[in-house]
Amino acid sequence: MKFGTMLGDLTISLFSKPSTERYPFERSETPERLRGLLIWHPEKCIGCGLCAKDCPAGALDVIVLDKESKKYQLRYYPDRCIFCGQCVYSCRQGCLEMSNEKWELAALDRSAFEIIYGECLENE
Amino acid sequence: MSEVGKRESFTIPIGPQHPALKEPEHFLISVDGEIVTDAVVRLGYAHRGIEKAVESRTWVQSLYMLERICGICSHIHAMAYCLGVEQLAGVEVPPRAQAIRVLVAELERIHSHLLWFGVSAHEAGFDTLFMYTWRDREKVMDLLEGFSGNRVNYSVNVLGGVKFDIDDAQAIAIREAVSFLEERTHHYLDVVTKDTMFLQRTRGIGVMTRSQAEVLGTVGPTARASNVYREIRVEAPYAAYDKYPVKIILDNRGDLEARFVVRLTELFESYRIILEILETLPDGDLTTRIPRRIKAGETVSRVEAPRGELFYFIKSNGSDTPERIRARTPTICNMMSVMKLLVGHQLADVPMILAGIDPCFSCNDRMVALNRGRNKEQLLTWEALRQYGIDYYKRRSD
Repeated sequence: MKFGTMLGDLTISLFSKPSTERYPFERSETPERLRGLLIWHPEKCIGCGLCAKDCPAGALDVIVLDKESKKYQLRYYPDRCIFCGQCVYSCRQGCLEMSNEKWELAALDRSAFEIIYGECLENE
Repeated sequence: MSEVGKRESFTIPIGPQHPALKEPEHFLISVDGEIVTDAVVRLGYAHRGIEKAVESRTWVQSLYMLERICGICSHIHAMAYCLGVEQLAGVEVPPRAQAIRVLVAELERIHSHLLWFGVSAHEAGFDTLFMYTWRDREKVMDLLEGFSGNRVNYSVNVLGGVKFDIDDAQAIAIREAVSFLEERTHHYLDVVTKDTMFLQRTRGIGVMTRSQAEVLGTVGPTARASNVYREIRVEAPYAAYDKYPVKIILDNRGDLEARFVVRLTELFESYRIILEILETLPDGDLTTRIPRRIKAGETVSRVEAPRGELFYFIKSNGSDTPERIRARTPTICNMMSVMKLLVGHQLADVPMILAGIDPCFSCNDRMVALNRGRNKEQLLTWEALRQYGIDYYKRRSD
């Protein structure tokens, strides 16, 4: 009886695909709340700097370009970020969110680890 | 060569890098033939200075630093800290937040116990069991990832509440996973108590009597397996445990088998509490406002981590940074019992007895002042300590 079960298992295993994910050819779906790369929406930002103040890893800097016309930039270092989500929680204006799609952040070049959000604002 | 008939004692150094355990720790084990006659442990290889580091961080930043003391029970560290700070600030946390904290703590306990179960099965040479338990553990990991967005270091806590709410889809997923795991745990309990090969590695090994367990100051499931009534969730309920009472699991045998049975039976309690919380989750806010500067004062916060009592001492001087935070983790309380229990056992039982307390060395490694019996106080100034460090490395490089 047990030998029969074993043979059955063996045959199934012989013809079935590996149960592990064939990454990077296949990607499993990420959970909705996955904490990936930080995204900044500049429209609502009031430049209070609470996100940078609360960041435990020193991964955020708020750069004030022009206080009167409310022009700010956010300098973000993804390599320092510990993806805790405290900045998203601290932001009262709701201008920060963490992407659940951008999580493959490895890079060979250091320049990928310094993102300045709102650079286009400066050129305007 | 020694004379014929004359026995010679050998000392076997194990670690800090060794194949048996995943974390660095040094054990010096004296053996007479195969029998252990003495065991000494040297801790501190994973000391990271976290307690000192939080003194230069704000209360909010410290939360994430302390969460990283342990990768397996990260939530319970953050929870102990939050409960302490909220107590200092005199803030009442909404009941829904407290219930969610307990829910995540119990999910974490399931994941921690299953992880430990797999590791100890691996130490016993029962790798099939290791594979199965870790496969089942993935269910809990997925739940935690779905709920918080991260597999480890969930960052569910914030000062004054929790970040994430539980929705219907997640409640359904949790119920499904819990009913699956409950069935599996019945099977594992069967394996642990009936499998003859496995029992040879656990039954009657590392027996610790009740009085020994009390004298050695053991905590958590290790103590409860020796019939010591020690469980913070029961003795001093924190967060929402007063609304969801826990039944204490005790065993009077005190051997490794009892430790397996106690931990696995505890899982059923966790399943029950999780289902109960999902049924009766109170409505309301998730957070309450907490000041950035915490009132001056000091407090202690005790919680039941998966490995035993976790103790936090928190002192504030009224500023936005903590003045002193001290964490005492369960492994350091249990470690001394291992050194006693090893004596008289076979060398091959050493990894099993060590795994029996569910050691977590990175939790364990913090500053400890030893009273070496000379009763002499030793106080180093910052300059003297710096000079000591320089001299120490100079001596080593010579």
